[in-house]
Amino acid sequence: MAGKIKKQIDEIIIAVAKDNQTIRNITKTKLVLKGINPDRFNDQSPDDPVILEKLKLIAVEFGVKKEIK
Amino acid sequence: MGIKIAYSTNQKTESAVIEIQEQLKISDPRLILFFSSSNFNQDEIADGIKKAFKNADVIGCSSSGELTCGKMLNNSVVLMAFDKETINDVKVEIIKDLKGSPEPQAALNSFQKYYKTPVSDLDFTKYFGIILIDGLSGCEEKLMEQIGTKTNISFIGGSAGDDLKFKTTFVNANGISYTNAAVLALIKSNVEFDILKTQSFNKLDKHFVATSVNEKQREILELDGKNAIDIYSKAVGTTKESASSKFMSNPLGVLAGDEPFVRSPQQFSENGIKFFCNVAEGTELTLLESTDIVKDTQSDLDKKIKEFGKPSGLINFNCILRTLELQNKNQTEAYGNIFNDIPTIGFSTYGEEYIGHINQTSVMLLFK
Repeated sequence: MAGKIKKQIDEIIIAVAKDNQTIRNITKTKLVLKGINPDRFNDQSPDDPVILEKLKLIAVEFGVKKEIK
Repeated sequence: MGIKIAYSTNQKTESAVIEIQEQLKISDPRLILFFSSSNFNQDEIADGIKKAFKNADVIGCSSSGELTCGKMLNNSVVLMAFDKETINDVKVEIIKDLKGSPEPQAALNSFQKYYKTPVSDLDFTKYFGIILIDGLSGCEEKLMEQIGTKTNISFIGGSAGDDLKFKTTFVNANGISYTNAAVLALIKSNVEFDILKTQSFNKLDKHFVATSVNEKQREILELDGKNAIDIYSKAVGTTKESASSKFMSNPLGVLAGDEPFVRSPQQFSENGIKFFCNVAEGTELTLLESTDIVKDTQSDLDKKIKEFGKPSGLINFNCILRTLELQNKNQTEAYGNIFNDIPTIGFSTYGEEYIGHINQTSVMLLFK
């Protein structure tokens, strides 16, 4: 399976930044500092369970857990 | 009045406060921000400045060298006063017991109650935060991460210093000084503001992944699955024995797009490399190479002024490692002169706060 990481990253960024480009860039930086670089993942990236678990926790921290499926 | 600055190199607290009052000649500022050498008794200076400006909110911290227009100082107090036309409102909170477990939620709840809006909904173009934090707490990353997941407001600031004694640093709020604490001020601005983050490094074509870390100890144990000391020493082209001499000129950077967030090595530890800032496991890192701080800062500030306009005030949170490099190269006067025509205060920090906790960087807050 592939592409789940990008999907989860996109969901977090959209939930936090809505349509604001400045907040979008800052949120991406916050993810980078947490060890996940959004630019490194695409629809073909393998579903690494360690990274997916990390993203679940990050989604909770950002308060967007309900929006992550 | 707008924004006014003052400073004193008088070593007696009472005299320094009087000097500052005389320079400012204002009666009713809304907010006072000051940075003072740790050689001042911090209880006395916090109390003295609050008494001098009773109706203002007053925040500050101890430093490791101070900055004002045209000058890099030592053993001084620098102060910025904001009037009510510049600052619409301020709410100050203190987070205590950082080393236990930094918990900003109570402060954020207080901001929410005060401004009658959830912090997650505050307009980041009208509000900003200042954060001053015990520079020896080792908790900056955790605190900045927690704040950053709760709000889109930018909190900018620095880790308090103690003139390189590395014993105790202080933050203070409204006349009281604290250690093992952070001061947060959430400010509603009446004027436009902007942020400049500048660091003086080239990115080298040497990249690593932090595959094993001890985040609490700010240690990287392995890079690319191998001993971090071996990998770093090889990357900077020297032996393990002399690699630490490259720490200042060759730190590592976490790249967000093209922008490096610097992680400065502090020392080799038993199991790896200890940094002044933690690195999350899985983080990609790039080896950096230092360039000219004065030239780069001038250039970045000029660019910012071109897009933002000339600031009426500037706060500079400038890393102590940059200050040491400027001193080593006899460039402190040249650096101070960059801010000759802008009302500026700042201090040499034990770490800079912007989005996260960073090293070897200057984070500036500019007001229109």
